[in-house]
Amino acid sequence: MSKNQARKPLEIKISTVVAVAALLGETDQDKLSSALAQVTGGTPDYFEDEFTVIDLAGVLPLPEPGTIRWADLIALFRSHRLNPVAVRNAPASLEDEIRAQGLSIDGMEQSRTFELTPPPSPPKQASERAPEPIPAAPASAAAPAASSSTMIIDMPVRSGQRVYARGGDLIVMATVNAGAEVIADGHIHVYAPLRGRALAGASGNGDARIFSTAMEAELVSIGGVYRTFDEGWPKELAGQPVQVQMKDDRLELSAIALK
Amino acid sequence: MTKIIVVTSGKGGVGKTTSSASIASGLALRGKKTAVIDFDVGLRNLDLIMGCERRVVYDMINVINREASLTQALIKDKHCDNLFVLPASQTRDKDALTEDGVERILDEMKAMGFEFIVCDSPAGIERGAVMALTFADEAIIVTNPEVSSVRDSDRILGIIQAKSRRAQTGAEPVKEHLLITRYSPKRVEAGEMLSYEDVQEILRIPLLGIIPESESVLHASNQGTPAIHIEDSEVSEAYKDVVARFLGEDRALRYAEYEKPGLLSRIFGGK
Repeated sequence: MSKNQARKPLEIKISTVVAVAALLGETDQDKLSSALAQVTGGTPDYFEDEFTVIDLAGVLPLPEPGTIRWADLIALFRSHRLNPVAVRNAPASLEDEIRAQGLSIDGMEQSRTFELTPPPSPPKQASERAPEPIPAAPASAAAPAASSSTMIIDMPVRSGQRVYARGGDLIVMATVNAGAEVIADGHIHVYAPLRGRALAGASGNGDARIFSTAMEAELVSIGGVYRTFDEGWPKELAGQPVQVQMKDDRLELSAIALK
Repeated sequence: MTKIIVVTSGKGGVGKTTSSASIASGLALRGKKTAVIDFDVGLRNLDLIMGCERRVVYDMINVINREASLTQALIKDKHCDNLFVLPASQTRDKDALTEDGVERILDEMKAMGFEFIVCDSPAGIERGAVMALTFADEAIIVTNPEVSSVRDSDRILGIIQAKSRRAQTGAEPVKEHLLITRYSPKRVEAGEMLSYEDVQEILRIPLLGIIPESESVLHASNQGTPAIHIEDSEVSEAYKDVVARFLGEDRALRYAEYEKPGLLSRIFGGK
């Protein structure tokens, strides 16, 4: 059997993980604590040890070195079962103390531009956050650009599985079952029942949309704005062809006329 | 060519061991040299259902640790001459179940000329369950017609797609079969249970068979006789259909629809 020879003691590969971003607007421990308690509503397993990236972009004025009590902050997140692994948008002066806590510095901005440049360059619009070259005419404009970055899945996506189309669209030709998660930085199309969770525009693109020919999703999210369906989908849309898009920061669900 | 079949479900108590025992027995009854392996280290059950628990001397872990040979550990079934049982260890640590060890046992069985090796998976998605499915050529997914069981089956299908040797080496994928057990057409009719069509609609894999809910399964396990041997029972007939379909024969689906008891059977109390 030659299989054993192939097994190396260690292999390093690039791997994509999904993390939650905690956007701090504040570094005061007490305020953060009550905000977290409010988010979780006291449910101890609201989060399940998700990787967490602490984003300091919203903390103004810029925090001075030594002013953030990192150990307490990490403990606070951990107590809500969020597992901080990195900090992004931190001033350079804080990087040493962040690293001292065992957290990584997430150079997201660089890596994102790196990733989004290879596909054909988007129309030269000033807007920084329009990685999708689809301003007005989705179908025709997207077609040539999409080919390189679109991921197509032909097998059912099953409970516990997660598919992430990084930097592009995701097309699924089989069911996305309850408990499965499909994620794309662009649009998500499911030409079958969508019963799991669908997160489009995962890196913040609010123009992304979600389409399914039989919509029954547990959760839909666009650009981080999400909606759950505890009470089930509205009767006229459940199991029907539906698209989800963001309008005025709200998710709008509408029927698609297939015929 | 040896075919390795994993019988798995994710969820516990749905009838994996009952099905493993009956399917392995059914294959043997059809003249196929068959082995059935219990992967549930620490909670062995298969030997009880096969009625050979008093003859267990060595188990799979002994073979993996080279404390016994495979021929010493294999127990010949009391009903079929060409069926052998490899029991699990009741006491050992699950970590003893190594991928290399399992592969060695399966290779040795192939060399012994077994046509079918049925791997009875433990519940859950931990090591034992993963080991049971790693080397599978075909998978029989045992599901009860209720949502949590279906969800767990969906999960285990995903794990087969990710962790089986076939998936990892890019070979032809593991062939998946759906086996619905403990099915009660009457309760489906009453809306208390998912119908087999509902289950199939979610899991989207070919249906191998339906085993009706029946007392005789309980009696059979208590007696240490695989349910397929309980002659004239619906369960036995259903498992025989399953084995026939597995071997490529065409059999109409039975025990799937509810028939209201007729006048005669009501009078004579027939079942």
